[in-house]
Amino acid sequence: MESNNEMTYTQAVTELEQLVQKMQDPQCSIDNLTAYTKRSKELLDICRKKLTAADEQLKQILADIQQQG
Amino acid sequence: MQQPSLFPSKPQGMTLSEFNARIEDHLNGVASLHNQWVIAETSDLRLNRSGHCYTELIEKDAKGETVAKIGAVMWAGTYRQLYHIFLQSTGQVLSTGMKVLVNVTVSFHRLYGMKVVINDIDPSYTLGDMERQRQEILDRLKAEGIIDLNKQQPWPNMPPQRIAIVSAPGAAGYGDFMNQLQGNSYGLQFYTCLFSAVMQGAQTVPTVKAALDRINSNIDKFDCVVIIRGGGATSELNSFDNYDLASYVANFPLPVIVGIGHERDVTVLDYVAAIRVKTPTAAAEWLIKCGTNALARLDELQETVASAVRDTVAAAREHLAYYTSLIPAVARGIIDTNRIRLDNHARNIPFAANNLLANQRTHLQRMVERMGDSVARAMQREQQRLQALDDKAVLLSPQNTLRRGYSLVRVGDKCVTAASQLQPGDNITVQFAEGSADATVH
Repeated sequence: MESNNEMTYTQAVTELEQLVQKMQDPQCSIDNLTAYTKRSKELLDICRKKLTAADEQLKQILADIQQQG
Repeated sequence: MQQPSLFPSKPQGMTLSEFNARIEDHLNGVASLHNQWVIAETSDLRLNRSGHCYTELIEKDAKGETVAKIGAVMWAGTYRQLYHIFLQSTGQVLSTGMKVLVNVTVSFHRLYGMKVVINDIDPSYTLGDMERQRQEILDRLKAEGIIDLNKQQPWPNMPPQRIAIVSAPGAAGYGDFMNQLQGNSYGLQFYTCLFSAVMQGAQTVPTVKAALDRINSNIDKFDCVVIIRGGGATSELNSFDNYDLASYVANFPLPVIVGIGHERDVTVLDYVAAIRVKTPTAAAEWLIKCGTNALARLDELQETVASAVRDTVAAAREHLAYYTSLIPAVARGIIDTNRIRLDNHARNIPFAANNLLANQRTHLQRMVERMGDSVARAMQREQQRLQALDDKAVLLSPQNTLRRGYSLVRVGDKCVTAASQLQPGDNITVQFAEGSADATVH
């Protein structure tokens, strides 16, 4: 499991998809459910944030590149 | 020494206009130079202020060397007509470097010299030629196995958010793209970086390639490249039907989205790009769509998580309910089984007791019998022993002993068994088998 801060959207969404698959498994233990649910909520938040929250640092990097170009 | 004159007699000159008038007379009346269909290539095509269109018509050989050339003009009225006809048929603005089939009439003017006047143009020839050229490029890209290369390029991130844009900075198309992207109503973030290039004319290929090179040196900063142009009515797409550029895009290490096209027209670049859309706005819409798909997928995953939790809890509850419902029946079963077992035992008790009693009785009987036998045997044994004793007693009785001649000496009631027991003067009685005699010891 990657540390949340360093995760890319792709990593987060991949882990989320795998987690959901585990949760959908009829063999999924009710004992794991709390941990799985908590983690999937975290991952959903990471993914949504990556898509909709501005990354000012990245903006600056690209602005610098454009300036040079 | 004086140079010998070319003309020995002093020539009578005519004016140039007189001479040119002769040419005019000769050329302008020749039917074979009127309304002739000619295949040529346009070169240095330009409009003057009056709206007349001037160009050079040229012919090149297989090596690309110009082998024929003549100046040509489309008078403003003709040009306006032909411009629209040509644009409608080909989707292209009549421009330099096009193969054309034109109807021309030679025209010689004493002041302006010789040129041809273009009366008409057959756009289908140009279209066919462009199509042939495009097909040649496509065939080459296919033969080299690179035509689908960019389509197979993996997306570093899906949805793509870091966008390298190749466009002309001031172009309406770039503005449309940026407005559409940044103004999206889903709050999706896109990070764009413009790499400017000239998007029409001869500079297109080198500047677009240079822009791609600059992107390539920052390749890890981007998810994809967007090549856009457009805005306004002009659509000079010839530059994008270019093998070098197409091959460059095909081999580019990021997926390329191309939004340079015309509604009806497809350039070679459209064939090689990972994604082809018609306009810059459509390119932005495509990117936004990727983002909204991702958001929708997240909603879906969230719902799946919720329903998985519901299902798992419900399944567990159901499981529990099943076992809860099972307990009374199981308990009843256990009680019933034990009751039956108990009943069986109870029923068996009398039989078992009887058996036990009968066994014990038999046993006792046997014991009694055996006791009887042994008592009888013991009695017999005792009797025999008593008999023997009796016999012995009879044999050993004092009477029998006395009879055999022995006598019994007594002092009073006591038997004397040793002489020492007697004192002189003691009165003794001697007993015989038959009678007794008294005596005194001396």
